[in-house]
Amino acid sequence: MREANTPALVLEGVSKSFDEFVAVRDLSLTVRPGTIYGLLGPNGAGKTTTIRMIVNIIAPDTGRVLLYGRPMGEKLMDKIGYLPEERGLYKKMRIGDQLRFFGELKGLTPKQADERASRWLERLKLSEWKAKKTDELSKGMQQKIQFITTVMHEPDLLILDEVFSGLDPVNAELMIDVLHELKAAGRTIILSTHQMEQAERLCDDICLINKSRKVLDGSLREVKRGAGRRAVALRAEDTNGVLDDRSLVAGVKNLGDYSEVTLAEGADEQEVLRRLVAGGARVTRFESVEPSLHDIFIRKVSEG
Amino acid sequence: MRKLLVIIKREYLYRVRTKAFVITTVLMPLFVIFSAVAPALLFSIKSGGATRIAVVDQTGRLYESVRNSILTSRDEDDEEGAKTRPQAPARGMPGQQDGDEQMRQLGKATGQRYELEQVPTQGRALEEVRRELDERVRKNQLDGYVVLPANIMTSEGRAEYRGRNLGDMITTSQLRHGLRRAVIEQRMRDAQIDPRRVRELSKEIEMDAFKAGSGDEKDTGGSFGLAMGVGLFIYMGILLYGQVIMSSVVEEKTTRISEVLFSSVKSFQLMAGKLVGVSLVGMTQFGIWALAFLLLSIYGVAALAASGTKFTLPSVPPIFFLYAFVFFVIGFFMYATIFMIVGSMVTTEKEAGQLAMPVIFLSVASVYMIFPVIRAPNSPLAFWISISPFFSPVTMLVRIVTETPPPWQIALSVGIGLATILFFTWVAARVYRIGMLMYGKSASLPEVLRWVRQS
Repeated sequence: MREANTPALVLEGVSKSFDEFVAVRDLSLTVRPGTIYGLLGPNGAGKTTTIRMIVNIIAPDTGRVLLYGRPMGEKLMDKIGYLPEERGLYKKMRIGDQLRFFGELKGLTPKQADERASRWLERLKLSEWKAKKTDELSKGMQQKIQFITTVMHEPDLLILDEVFSGLDPVNAELMIDVLHELKAAGRTIILSTHQMEQAERLCDDICLINKSRKVLDGSLREVKRGAGRRAVALRAEDTNGVLDDRSLVAGVKNLGDYSEVTLAEGADEQEVLRRLVAGGARVTRFESVEPSLHDIFIRKVSEG
Repeated sequence: MRKLLVIIKREYLYRVRTKAFVITTVLMPLFVIFSAVAPALLFSIKSGGATRIAVVDQTGRLYESVRNSILTSRDEDDEEGAKTRPQAPARGMPGQQDGDEQMRQLGKATGQRYELEQVPTQGRALEEVRRELDERVRKNQLDGYVVLPANIMTSEGRAEYRGRNLGDMITTSQLRHGLRRAVIEQRMRDAQIDPRRVRELSKEIEMDAFKAGSGDEKDTGGSFGLAMGVGLFIYMGILLYGQVIMSSVVEEKTTRISEVLFSSVKSFQLMAGKLVGVSLVGMTQFGIWALAFLLLSIYGVAALAASGTKFTLPSVPPIFFLYAFVFFVIGFFMYATIFMIVGSMVTTEKEAGQLAMPVIFLSVASVYMIFPVIRAPNSPLAFWISISPFFSPVTMLVRIVTETPPPWQIALSVGIGLATILFFTWVAARVYRIGMLMYGKSASLPEVLRWVRQS
């Protein structure tokens, strides 16, 4: 089933409208297996609708959803673990019973479900809450319980919508560790979020959607490189006028301890470094500064 | 299929384990027993021994027989009472007479005692005697007094009772009964008729009803009672569990659990699972109640038998229990699906409650449909009613009890019933799935119809 080259998920020209309103327009994307894929976009961009089409809650009007090369359908539902943005647990049900129910719903035997529930509760430091009811738990705890219901059946593809919301910094770190573990175990993860810092730390590939259309996608690296603006953080003495060469440097901004040097169109940062060293400058810091995902996000969204 | 079972299991265990379920299951039979026994118990607590009654006899010759009649009413009446009692509920409209009768029985059961005294008028005016007796009642030397006017023997005469406590219905009705008997018997004797002879001759005529061609098996209305009982059970089931199934749907909507569920099971499975799960909860509860009722009635019958009362158990053909069960399940599910649809249309339980009223009316209407059917069980009207969704469960049962229709009609009724259940479950699933994706507002009927049509 999971061959190395088959993409975990492919969307081909997927569209969905509700009456007059177009929620997703002609969206295509490919998620490589074993990676973390960021589905980014502002509120109302069409992320949730896209996800609902992936998990088979709603059918696309046009286009196809392929999971490991096969058209998405009822039989493949158990291959996916879905954490919706709006969490829901049965209020009056004990955590242990609840986890068993969701596990069984995803095809585990009651025994398997119990074992995995215990393991995950331990991993997320919630073991002593097993016999409690949902309404006795804090928001963050409920969030972690919901996460367990998503992963306990060991799905190949995890879709996590705003997985960090409601988690304190300690738990957010714990969650990041868990996600890295899952990735290491070969799982594919789609993160839908508008928290760019987390996405930047976790994602291999991203797709940015805005106003129901894809704005850009690709590996994080490519996206940043393609973002245009390139700069270098430089701390150096005796630059001998190299920085005044307009064919290399578009501008210099003094930031106190160091300067941010914006490269000219088509200029190579290695060339700048070579020229500086050749000119006898003492370089104590030379670091290529990429635009943050945050900057790219803001710029793309405000452009659109 | 396996997922359906998982849903059913959760729905069932979730509800059966709640305190509310345990409490209602246990309290309901206790409540029924209590409400049956309590009035008698409470009435029997009468402080202060015998009731003291004075009798002003203006005819001058009735006192002795009135006294005998009131003091002995208990023993002499039992031969009649025993026979009339089991038939009592069948006698038709309950009215003043019936209520009076019950009170008298109750008084007898509680063993109320009387002390009677005659008040000599000695030529005094009635007004004066009354004043004196009122004074004695006020001083609590008497509990009340009866005035028998001189013309009581003719038809226009009316006796009167003045007592301290007219709310004591047992006393009033026992006095009335005693008086009536004494006066009537005196009238008979005056007309040279032997009262005992009259009693013998006017004994109740009994008629046994048999179904034609069914041999000696007596139909005491047991089957019909069972059909009505099923109707009542469906109605009760809807009242008790319609809300439950509705809030079960609304809960998943408001807590947004449905989104996770929909990514795991088909919405039809989810709805069918809920329907069966909640229904099983209801049937568990009803089963427990039925068992409690059965034990009670076995105890009751045994007690009646021990007291020497004749009592025939209504005979019901065994196959009829099967029909009753099948049609109960169909009826219950049919109405429950409507509640599911209502639940999936709304966003809060409050709104759901308002929308549920018409469904309850519909179930009441189905019980009324019994009357045209029972008059002519094989008429075309009866046929159409007994295969129509929502009316079929109760009316088809009534037809089976009265003039069993041909098997194909029964099968048709069951088939249409099942198809209705499937169809409405499908509609509920559809409305639920689309309704879940909409936020914050309840759906209007036209919107729902559009959702059902579109994919």
